[in-house]
Amino acid sequence: MPAWCADYLTREQAQQALFPQAERFIDASIELNPAQQDRISKLSGVKQRWNRQQIWRAERAGGLLGWFVIDEVVGKHEFVTYAAGLSPEGHVVGIEILTYRETYGFQVRDAQWRAAFRDKTARDRFKLGDDIPLLTGATLSCRNVANGVKRLLALQQVVLARVE
Amino acid sequence: MTRTTLFSALLLILLALGLTPISQADEQVFGYVKGAEPLPKGANEFYAIATQRSGKGSGHYRATDYAFEFERGFTDRLAAAVYLRGMSLDTSGILIDAYLPGDRKLGLRFSGLELETKYNFLSPASHSFGLSLYNSLSHLTVDPHSGHDKSTLSLEMLLLAQKYFMDGQLIWAGNFGIEATRAKRSEIANLPPGFEWPTEPEMEVEVIGSTGLSYRFAPNWYIGGEALYEQENETEVGLERWSLQAGPVLHYGAQKWWATFIWLPQLRGGGETYPEQGDFDLHLVEKTKTEYRLKFGINF
Repeated sequence: MPAWCADYLTREQAQQALFPQAERFIDASIELNPAQQDRISKLSGVKQRWNRQQIWRAERAGGLLGWFVIDEVVGKHEFVTYAAGLSPEGHVVGIEILTYRETYGFQVRDAQWRAAFRDKTARDRFKLGDDIPLLTGATLSCRNVANGVKRLLALQQVVLARVE
Repeated sequence: MTRTTLFSALLLILLALGLTPISQADEQVFGYVKGAEPLPKGANEFYAIATQRSGKGSGHYRATDYAFEFERGFTDRLAAAVYLRGMSLDTSGILIDAYLPGDRKLGLRFSGLELETKYNFLSPASHSFGLSLYNSLSHLTVDPHSGHDKSTLSLEMLLLAQKYFMDGQLIWAGNFGIEATRAKRSEIANLPPGFEWPTEPEMEVEVIGSTGLSYRFAPNWYIGGEALYEQENETEVGLERWSLQAGPVLHYGAQKWWATFIWLPQLRGGGETYPEQGDFDLHLVEKTKTEYRLKFGINF
């Protein structure tokens, strides 16, 4: 099945998929200063390309369940838009592919592949073919989504861990 | 059915296939340099490649090589392909002893078959750089320089390296290897007086090195440059030729197809020469001043 410019999930659907117990999502998008961008890049080994990051607080009964982050990474031709759920302690809750504009490599949507990210922390390797499966035909997307999640975990440490 | 008719019929079938709405799996951002990424298991690929070679420094020379390839990924590491080759030629006013015996005009003509395999050792996405081994076995029935009958059997082995930079927005690739060839020309009637046209079997060993960089400057668009070095040693004359070519390459990847265009002029060259070639800093006996290549690919 080809995947030409497919919008798989809306933001709201992805939020419900990653935090089904959440009662509300509060926009908590941030502007990163240069020092924060450098720190994120250094911690993750992945360049933080932009200074604005779309983030929502997932809450239930006024308590923080986690962070819902929308991110983009480079695909073969265009950006891949995905969402990551991060726990307050810095674990990956899960990831969802929102928009995949590439003409091949739709396997990054596979639940089994995305499950490899669950419970990952910034201390994990995110090594393709090791703790993250390498999908032949979607190697660049695999690599860049894995690097993107690693970068978001660094962002969680640098910025979100300090937010109540 | 003549070979030309058969070839034309096959070409029409392949072009018709190219018009069907099928999806794209992989693509080549370079014109001559080969990438190390393997074709995925179960994926099929069709290419059409046209290469125009022109300019010998005197007279008129324009040859166009055509290649139609079908490739399939058999495992996640191994892909194999079969090529159908053709050529056309229009040359006049040039006489190169032992190479070009006179004016010749050929329409599109079947010129040979090629089988190739590509085995991937390291993926450029999961390792610091990618590495593959490329093998090719080809049999040509037409001399690509003169257009006369010539039986050529070649075995080529290349190491293909590739590295991604900037999350894959910048791609480097490099190839290095050798090609061993056994060739035998057919006799030609009515050769010019005193013209040498050897028909004994000859052996050639060619060293090939190439490198390229390609940058994605806008969604779907890549621009870059490539350089190609070739050196050929032959049983009769020793160092027959060497050449360095370099030029820009432009690539576009659409939803259902991709295309790559490269202009690759010869910058320097040496080895055998002929008196009328004018520029003796180039090798113009077998090579030409300029090459253009257009590649079109569909994956399904």
